[in-house]
Amino acid sequence: MTDLTLRQIRKSYGSVDILHGIDLDIRSGEFIVFVGPSGCGKSTLLRSIAGLEEITSGDLCIDGEIVNDVPPSKRGIAMVFQSYALYPHMTVYENMAFGMRIAKVGKAEIDQRVKQAAEILQLTKYLDRLPKAMSGGQRQRVAIGRAIVRNPKVFLFDEPLSNLDAALRVATRIEIAKLKESMPNTTMIYVTHDQVEAMTLADRIVVLKDGYVEQVGTPMDLYKKPGNLFVAQFIGSPAMNIVPARIETAGATTAISHIGGNKVNVPLPTPASAKGAAVSFGVRPEDLFIVTGSDFLFEGKVDYVEQLGEVQLVYVDIGRADLPLVTKLPGNVEVKRGATVRLNTNPDDLHIFDADGCSVLQP
Amino acid sequence: MSATVTAGRARHVNVWSVIARTFLYSFLVCLGVVVIYPLIWMALSGVKDNAQIFGDPFALPVHWSWNNYVQAWNQGVRGYVTVSVLVTVASAICTVLISAWTAFGLTRTRMPAKPLVIAIVLGGLMLSPTVAIIPLVKMLQALGLYNTYWALIILYTAFRVPFTTFLIRAYMLDLPGDIDEAATMDGASEGQIFWRITLPLCRPIIISCVILHVLFAWNEYLFAMVFTSGSDVQTLPVGLTSIMATHGTNYAVVFAAMTISALPIVIVFFAAQRYFIRGLSEGIGK
Repeated sequence: MTDLTLRQIRKSYGSVDILHGIDLDIRSGEFIVFVGPSGCGKSTLLRSIAGLEEITSGDLCIDGEIVNDVPPSKRGIAMVFQSYALYPHMTVYENMAFGMRIAKVGKAEIDQRVKQAAEILQLTKYLDRLPKAMSGGQRQRVAIGRAIVRNPKVFLFDEPLSNLDAALRVATRIEIAKLKESMPNTTMIYVTHDQVEAMTLADRIVVLKDGYVEQVGTPMDLYKKPGNLFVAQFIGSPAMNIVPARIETAGATTAISHIGGNKVNVPLPTPASAKGAAVSFGVRPEDLFIVTGSDFLFEGKVDYVEQLGEVQLVYVDIGRADLPLVTKLPGNVEVKRGATVRLNTNPDDLHIFDADGCSVLQP
Repeated sequence: MSATVTAGRARHVNVWSVIARTFLYSFLVCLGVVVIYPLIWMALSGVKDNAQIFGDPFALPVHWSWNNYVQAWNQGVRGYVTVSVLVTVASAICTVLISAWTAFGLTRTRMPAKPLVIAIVLGGLMLSPTVAIIPLVKMLQALGLYNTYWALIILYTAFRVPFTTFLIRAYMLDLPGDIDEAATMDGASEGQIFWRITLPLCRPIIISCVILHVLFAWNEYLFAMVFTSGSDVQTLPVGLTSIMATHGTNYAVVFAAMTISALPIVIVFFAAQRYFIRGLSEGIGK
């Protein structure tokens, strides 16, 4: 059982700051996913935890012990690299046994642990092969096997699926999820820029942007209650629609007006001083639906339709060229390009953000 | 009609392709003859006698006298070959290991002042052996290494390290860095990463470097002539000139000795040809 604590972790390359004081508590046995756009510092943070990057300042604690100066191999951590990083001149068996041979583990134990891991990962018949004679998915499994045999306290994954094709990515993602289930006490930290991987694998997601933690929470927390505009737009596909708006009536319930639609009452109290404040109004594409009556949120012309079969993405022009509203509708609903449509949503599915982009009202 | 035109054009293209190929093959055969014929001529001259060599130099031997080879072997070539093998092997091992370790430091470690060290090491490429001869003689005399195997081993190593480092460094730059990181995570020290991961991965360029070094050390004349004087520490190139001086009238023996001296290099090259080409193309070809 291993807890990980990050206290004010900073990382700079010369005068360039990559991580700006990351604070994070990771509980034992958790599956944590670092997610964020390219350059947000997620891989740097992972490599700092692994010990492959020196921390500029702050403390990294594993089980309450500061490990800033502990070499990577002594931290009880194993890492699976994006490019697999298998030793090309060694067989699968030798790749998996390498770390134990360095640690001078007995031959019989090495053999037993390698074979056990190979069985879990269905690699038994490939143990004598060189990595170049294996497919991408098999190589990734070897990389995972190499990590498993070390019995690590913490597993680190650095975008492990990004080199796989779409079908293999789904299959390997499921394998990783099953692996986590089979190792409930092992803490896992996973870096990805793919929000599907983040949503499906994580116990908690850490959203990073420009070296700052934007929000930490369960996948559904981030989806349902994004803490700010960035998280709201980063989590969910297609991204949440954001429309500039203004608070018309403050009080027990709040009335908000926005371009391209009617005034809407949000069932949340706001202080009287909030009246007239400029806000952003967010609604997810899948929360919008077509209505025919006068009770609607938005009205606009259908600009474009992307038919995906099961669903269709309908782009609605609500009066601002830079703000086509995206709605996700069932694929069998007939929507014609150029037609005027009215869209509504449940008040519970609305998100309102203040001028700084922070979530101010969450039903 | 159209089919006839197409067939005619195809025939036209075929004729030019055959002509081009014929020229190419002829050129390559000529090139081969220029390179191989002198070797064959040398080997064949080794089984003739002096009269035949001067009387009819381009004819095939009338009597195949393998005795010249035996005579050459017994008249000192055996000793020269032994010294050459010793000096070549020892200096090749030293050169490759030192260069590989240097290249590893220059490419895969967080070494301070790396650009300066690279400049100093590669700057050695510009040092001419001829210019350094006099100070080197003084230095090796002072060290008591003059007229020993060690003089040649040290000098061959020192003068080949910059170029060999240059080749291996270029190769190592292209090896993925995360393999080293994976080994670090596995608990390997820098020395273990070098021996167990990087060096085996550099096998093609290492083999190329060994061959290049063997070619250099086996044929090197200047240092061998200046730094050794006793026949028991002389290498083949210097030894062959001694044979010429001693047995100047018997050219057949000299040719036989030259053939014996060339043989190991030819064997080494053909045995490792595949690695040699691959290593060089991956090392400096980029």
